[in-house]
Amino acid sequence: MTLDCPAALPPRWAEWLLRTLLSAEDRDCISGDLLEEYRQAIVPALGRGADAWYIRQVARYVMWKTWIWAALVGGILITRYLFDTLAPVHYTPGVVAPRSAVMSYALIATFALGAAWRTWRSGDLRGGVLTAFVTAALGGALAAAGTIVCLAIWHDPATLQAAQDSGGLDEALWAVPLLLIPIGLITGTAGAIAGRAAHAIAAPLR
Amino acid sequence: MADVLGSFEQAVLIAVMRLQGEAYGRAILKEVQSRLDRDVAPGAVHATLNRLERKKLLASRLGAGTPVRAGRARRYYRLLPAGVRALNDARQAADNIWRGLTWPLVKTRSLA
Repeated sequence: MTLDCPAALPPRWAEWLLRTLLSAEDRDCISGDLLEEYRQAIVPALGRGADAWYIRQVARYVMWKTWIWAALVGGILITRYLFDTLAPVHYTPGVVAPRSAVMSYALIATFALGAAWRTWRSGDLRGGVLTAFVTAALGGALAAAGTIVCLAIWHDPATLQAAQDSGGLDEALWAVPLLLIPIGLITGTAGAIAGRAAHAIAAPLR
Repeated sequence: MADVLGSFEQAVLIAVMRLQGEAYGRAILKEVQSRLDRDVAPGAVHATLNRLERKKLLASRLGAGTPVRAGRARRYYRLLPAGVRALNDARQAADNIWRGLTWPLVKTRSLA
């Protein structure tokens, strides 16, 4: 009697997500290993819970492929919050302060580079756009969590006033993290197109 | 002396050595799980294999797929001489650290 389930299929969207994010050389081997484990060990052991296992594994791969970019985005936003609260400057409406410009360009560069790198590795434009989306979502969550930690450490009236003067806590905790998603998608798409072009140009050389 | 290997890296390298010609992702995962006697995430094994290959401690080649993995290729790994040296160095370092102690350790009054 064999225990494996050769016809069992993991959630299609999760498998698509995994294969889209993996580099071309890893795509078949890693998704094949996961499928083999799913069919031969997990489905017989967990039954209906096997899909949840598969989704958890895919989430780990997504983190593996995007954490560095998400950490950069979170780090940029937390640094900006720290500068604005611990070394406040006066913002003039309609004038872009140097630190705002530096932050914006750093975020754009992170999304574009992350997406370009992933598309360069995977050869798939969707991989880059997906990387930018996940980077924005995770980076925004990290930034919000970091802001809460900073607030727990520095919450004297002067710091709270400085936070209010730089846009307020609402902006730091949810408006900017949410705004990152369209920004990430737009700049990430541009980066992914550049990565795809580089991949196509370099293909004959490989 | 080569880079100091972490214990998980050692487990993966030794699994590759034990499996010889059959060392591909899932087989390595099973071997590591069995030796460490705990659940190990496939992603952790793949990330480690990837890192060890970048460090030039392992080399890999693609092999044929099977129906259970929908025909997708397997990547087979083998230990490189630098990998063998790194394992020997890791074992030597552990032996040096433990030399003179009796294992298992017993908590004594002076250690408390």
